[in-house]
Amino acid sequence: MKLIGKIIATEKVPTTVDEFYFWTDKELIIKPFDVVKVKHIKGSITFGVVEEISHLTDSSSFLAGYISSDFGDVDYQQYTQRIGMNYVKARVVGNSEGIYTPVLDGYSVSLATEEDVREALGLKDVENPLACGYIEMYEPPDNITIPVNFNSQFLIGPEGAHLNISGISGLATKTSYAMFLLKAIQDQYLNKEGAESVAYVIMNVKGRDLLAIDEPNSELTDEEKSIYKMLEINATPFQNVKYFYPYSKNIVTSTYGRKSDIESQMDLGKANLYKYIFEDDKESIDLLFSNVDDPNQTMESIVNYIVTGQGGFGGITNWRDLLQEVYEHTKSGKTGKDKEITVLSWRKFYRLFRKTIEKTTIFANTLSSNPNDRETRLRETILNIQKNDTYVVDIAKLDEETQGFVFGDVIRAIYELKLGQIEHRKEADIPSKIIIFIDELNKYASKEVPKSSPILRQLLDISERGRSLGIILFSAEQFKSDIHDRIKGNCATHAYGRTNAIEVSKPDYQYVPKVYKSMLTRLKQGEYIVQNPIFRSLLNIRFPKPIYKQFKNG
Amino acid sequence: MGNILILLEKVTNGNCYQSYSYCADDELRLPTINYEENQNLTFVVKRPGETSAPTETKDLSELKEKISPAPPLFQYFLDGSRRTYKVDDIELNRRIFPIMAGQIGVACCERQSPSQIKCNELENNLVLALPSEANPEIRNPDLFLNSLKDKVNQLEGVQTAGVKFSSIISYSSKVDSNTGDKYEHKGIAAIQDEMINAEKKVVASLTAKNLLSEERYLLKDGSLQYKPMRTGEYKELSKIKNNYRWVIGVSKLFNPEFSKDKRGKSNAAILAKLPLYHRTPAYMHEHDIEQRERLGDYRFSIWYVRIRDFKYSESPFAGIVKVEKILITESENENGLESDLVDIISTNIINERNPVCYGKDTRWANHLYPIYLTELFLKSKYLSDLHFINLF
Repeated sequence: MKLIGKIIATEKVPTTVDEFYFWTDKELIIKPFDVVKVKHIKGSITFGVVEEISHLTDSSSFLAGYISSDFGDVDYQQYTQRIGMNYVKARVVGNSEGIYTPVLDGYSVSLATEEDVREALGLKDVENPLACGYIEMYEPPDNITIPVNFNSQFLIGPEGAHLNISGISGLATKTSYAMFLLKAIQDQYLNKEGAESVAYVIMNVKGRDLLAIDEPNSELTDEEKSIYKMLEINATPFQNVKYFYPYSKNIVTSTYGRKSDIESQMDLGKANLYKYIFEDDKESIDLLFSNVDDPNQTMESIVNYIVTGQGGFGGITNWRDLLQEVYEHTKSGKTGKDKEITVLSWRKFYRLFRKTIEKTTIFANTLSSNPNDRETRLRETILNIQKNDTYVVDIAKLDEETQGFVFGDVIRAIYELKLGQIEHRKEADIPSKIIIFIDELNKYASKEVPKSSPILRQLLDISERGRSLGIILFSAEQFKSDIHDRIKGNCATHAYGRTNAIEVSKPDYQYVPKVYKSMLTRLKQGEYIVQNPIFRSLLNIRFPKPIYKQFKNG
Repeated sequence: MGNILILLEKVTNGNCYQSYSYCADDELRLPTINYEENQNLTFVVKRPGETSAPTETKDLSELKEKISPAPPLFQYFLDGSRRTYKVDDIELNRRIFPIMAGQIGVACCERQSPSQIKCNELENNLVLALPSEANPEIRNPDLFLNSLKDKVNQLEGVQTAGVKFSSIISYSSKVDSNTGDKYEHKGIAAIQDEMINAEKKVVASLTAKNLLSEERYLLKDGSLQYKPMRTGEYKELSKIKNNYRWVIGVSKLFNPEFSKDKRGKSNAAILAKLPLYHRTPAYMHEHDIEQRERLGDYRFSIWYVRIRDFKYSESPFAGIVKVEKILITESENENGLESDLVDIISTNIINERNPVCYGKDTRWANHLYPIYLTELFLKSKYLSDLHFINLF
């Protein structure tokens, strides 16, 4: 136990139930989030987490500093440095005996041991432990490293569910952190017997990021492997992975993945190409218009009109005919029986619809009957998802509307599956939890997304009812402040990566102490500030580099 | 009425009045000229205070730059202070005397590195001053005061407060019509003497520990000329002279009228115009003949150094410090200090000029920072006035 200072309580700055101040030597290195312990009454120990560190001298004004350099001589060297000290503001996180009266002036403050830190931060005896990273504290030779565990029931239900990760692109490594947690979950559930089981659906939205998660990362150093070992996670890549690429004739037009890689994955039976067939998927076309402002719900009306086969839409069997029929409705005087839908609305619908249908290759007439072509309907596959399956759905190269369409279709399918609306599957065979990971959540659930958006409605439903249904949303975005309040509010766990100063000035970060805010703008890669109901305060955690293959140029 | 006063009534056969208690110090916080400075020194006319016997002031700007990379000469800093209180009035033999008490503190801080100043010695004492009449008997005044001290320290109120009186002293109750000194002042003077004793003790202890040397001087706040003491112990003083070989006294406040030119005439006007980083010639002084018996037969070299430009200070004497050194060796007593040593001491004092306590103390221009720190440290060790007064 290394003593580092003593409590100061003054008339103007008293110690309180919540916080205290102590002085330290000005050369002692300590940083925000470090835990300190203070002797308290009745032999108890109060734990605090460092929030702010200030340096103070006896100089009464800036002017005195100037005068002390011989009235502004920058080269001046003085024999004596001005007397100074550091004082540290710490937030109380607990007391060993549950005594919450303020700590007393003059009591000694010391660094904590690993055991103390665990007790202070609520990391001790965590039930259902699930590695979520590790914390590093103090400077050598006093430095300590402590693995940090979530209670998995607070991450993937039933006590609490959903995770939201925010941070700027590249520096925050949001995808890596989500994948790190998914890997920890997979490790735990892969060979677990019993009713609890998990399946994963991961949306790949950027480059080739997640298109080789079952292949090892050859650049992982021994040091990083030892971190995985400390965290009790197998240093192996993901297992039971299946990839779903958007269909196109030569494959590469619709994905960033390399043709050869995909073909070898297909040969191993790990990859499929997904298509949308009119007969089966026409009901989902509302998802194509989720980001279109539709205050009078005319788009919705048109979709409804088409899906129910009104007007000339009854006998249509393929996308091309549908487009043609919609075109017919754009001609004046041909609005069918439904006079409420104006020609102008039809024209808008046609314009948007045609853009998507003509641009993307996933809308097709039929599936290939040759199993070697590995063509599939995404919805059907998801409805058949098995325990421990990890599905990676690639939507990176699709245009924005189609990305939304595919994502919306995936979550709708999962929702239906978990609601028990699928007749051919037995309750016991369906994974008890399905975790969906989606990056760029702001595209689907930002505050600006129209309220009528079917994807937003689906996401709200998942975030509110998902915990009990067993649908867990792991989401990531650059700016948390953009995200719909109800979605953020329903996330039990939040991870904050590096962000910028404008973002931290938003009301979302109001409760974050000032120093932590500025820390948020300086966090390194692989460093997060996490918030979870079982932790007594925010934690500054680190996690190792990804365990699966990394592509350097996306 | 507190515990101590009841005890005093009992042992002195007196009667306490429970009058108003207050802190008797008038804190000197303004940069004034100390006209009241009492000096029992005589200018030694025929002897210069330094070997080269200059007639003009000397510019040290260049030397100051030259020595600045070397380690500083001063490593120890000493300051003594006291806070006095009038705690009550006591009636003794139909006369009224004040009961004075004080907290005295002497601290010596060591500069271990530019960023590390640590306390090396600390004397922090509580004293009580009673009129000499307080002793009901004529004999054994020391014995009486000593046993009274023990009784006071055993009082419950004193013990629960966790404090201890280090001595009880007496002040003369003789009415002095010439000086018109009030009893209160006599009490304060007695406490002041006690503080000076504590200072000497600290210096003696530093010497005994062999901490001071020609490379590690002690810089003492205030004069080295100890005022006539109530109990003039001549022998003791001449003995302690040797403790002061590596000690320099620096006074922030001085009476410029006492600065003399080589003929022994007042030099105040020249001093006011002393240019920046200049020093005056050093002159030799000795105690007045009639005081020598009591104060010790030793001589001083005294000179003045300007450490801050007068265009920045409030008065022409702000920014000047008075420097004293006791002359130890035979040759020093004959010819004064080596001029080079005077220069080195002066430049080292000049180089101590920063940082400043500007904004904290109006005497900032005369302060040397390590001494200022020592002073602050001492003050932080005092009991608060209210706490102290309520011990009685």
